[in-house]
Amino acid sequence: MLRKLMKHEFRATGRIMLPLFLILLVTSVGANFSTRGLLETDNKFLDVLGVLLVMAFAIAIVGVCVMSMVVMVQRFYKNLLQDEGYVMMTLPVSVHQHIWSKLIVSAVWFALTLVVVCLACFIMAFDVGFVHQIAAGFRELFQEICRNLSAYYAINGTAVIVEFLVMCFVGCCAMCLQFYAALAIGHSRPNHKMAWSVLSFFAIQFIMQFLGGMGIVLLDESWFHHLLLGWTDNISGMASVHLGMVAMILGEVVVGAIFYVLTTWFLKKRLNLE
Amino acid sequence: MAVLECKNLTKQYGHVTALEDVSFSIEPGRIVGLLGPNGSGKTTLIKLANGLLTPTSGELTICNAAPGKETHAIVSYLPERTSIPLWMTATQLLDFYQDFYKDFRRDAAEEMLAHLNIPAKQRIKQMSKGTREKVQLIVTMSRAAQLYLLDEPIGGVDPATRDYILSTIIGNYNPEAAVVISTHLISDVEKVLDEVIFINQGHVVLQSSVDEIREEKGMSVDALFREVFKC
Amino acid sequence: MKWYFSDSAPIYAQLIRQIKVGIVTGAFPPGERLPSVRDLATEAGVNPNTMQRAFAELERDGLVYSQRTAGRFVTEDRAMIEQTKKGLAECHIKQFLESMDQLGFQRDEVISLLWQETGKEGITDGGSGM
Repeated sequence: MLRKLMKHEFRATGRIMLPLFLILLVTSVGANFSTRGLLETDNKFLDVLGVLLVMAFAIAIVGVCVMSMVVMVQRFYKNLLQDEGYVMMTLPVSVHQHIWSKLIVSAVWFALTLVVVCLACFIMAFDVGFVHQIAAGFRELFQEICRNLSAYYAINGTAVIVEFLVMCFVGCCAMCLQFYAALAIGHSRPNHKMAWSVLSFFAIQFIMQFLGGMGIVLLDESWFHHLLLGWTDNISGMASVHLGMVAMILGEVVVGAIFYVLTTWFLKKRLNLE
Repeated sequence: MAVLECKNLTKQYGHVTALEDVSFSIEPGRIVGLLGPNGSGKTTLIKLANGLLTPTSGELTICNAAPGKETHAIVSYLPERTSIPLWMTATQLLDFYQDFYKDFRRDAAEEMLAHLNIPAKQRIKQMSKGTREKVQLIVTMSRAAQLYLLDEPIGGVDPATRDYILSTIIGNYNPEAAVVISTHLISDVEKVLDEVIFINQGHVVLQSSVDEIREEKGMSVDALFREVFKC
Repeated sequence: MKWYFSDSAPIYAQLIRQIKVGIVTGAFPPGERLPSVRDLATEAGVNPNTMQRAFAELERDGLVYSQRTAGRFVTEDRAMIEQTKKGLAECHIKQFLESMDQLGFQRDEVISLLWQETGKEGITDGGSGM
């Protein structure tokens, strides 16, 4: 059933996301033309056109990123908590399957957004003189690094980048779940559902920051901190970077899990469709 | 075995009591009218049976199971408002139902769409309000469910469609399945019903067979309703 | 066949009466197979259980009989159909006389009124009879 839910979820979101991706790629081609020549002509009209194309590209990048988040949150809200909720919440599937399908599909779209944005940047930069030069500069720098530094740094560098990407990805999912939880809580109220949702969102945000702050203060004094201090003498700087990254990822997973539990509980026990 | 059973069911929204100590059961093969004025608790009861609300106290079971994933597979629900995804075409909606419900009879749905001249390729968003309601009714009735919960199925449609809907409910009759129709348009559905449950301000005031009412009181259910709920 | 329902009597009783009329008038001829309960219920717009109940009653009276596989049939006993026809007529007459009583007519007045009415009819119709 999860597979079927995801199939229909992709159908529903794809009809918005795919055209957005297409627009982004088209504007990237436009920006490519622009940087390759339009900006350097004497023709005022082409000059302005070039600037506009580049601006369109920048707006499209920001737009696609923002929209991917907006679409995912709005999808949850409209599909489960508005009128469509009557149909969706009476399907022979569990609340868990609903949330996982939404979350997985959102995650895939986030990842795809990243890929498409990268692709768009490549298209924009394709065969453009000064980008070539920059790229060549980077290549030289990289080769320099490789020559001077051992494989140790290359591997660790890659690992850090991967960890960073994973962190962003998990962060997006946790963010998604925070929206889900806030909406689920807000829509359990009989009236002013949207206002309550917004309020819940900021309340959750506040509680998380408060707990985080408290955690740091408490850790500062605790045995754990001493343990860490003891470790830092024994482990390298790179290892502590990894440790920090993994800790942050785990932290996000834990936070996401809390939001997940909140969301499912409210959808199961406190659902209150209009 | 009862298809739907309520035992001392109570539902409160905050301090407002929507249902209080409601007990009744519905046997298979019965077409039951859930009748009551607006705000009497009909929709709350149907939502509880669909797991869209959780009882404050008491119990509601469908074929001996609490509402949930398993009961959703055997209950076909028509909500009081149009809730099918509007961006889909009628055909896509049939795909959707076919994917999720094993008991969905696609040929029956297609036949009904054709009979009511509803274009299968048109987006539901572009259809009129009445047509949307018809589409939702078609997918609901095209399932071979054990329990149909129809919340105001004839409220917003013209008399001709009303007749078609009622004849669809009769034509779909299955001795294993029960149908619950909530409505305040009693004279229209009276002939179709076996039993009626009168509900007022969250209480069941009467459960009786239609012919018993006519035999004992010498009046139609509609007339009795007007008498019981006189303002 | 057209179906009409009034508010006062139980629906199954009204169904029995109308099916009887159908049999008497030949809409359901003797020995003929009857439509299924579901089809008739759909046609009349009534609950199939109610239609079933009406048939059960008619079966008990012997006006219809069912064969396990083939379905339900109208009786071939013409005497019984004739009897039913009389029964229906008596019903109408009883109702008619009750209404006349209500209006305050004595029996002999009613009869003379009937003579007058049928006599008139006889003239205007040219005596075509039944």
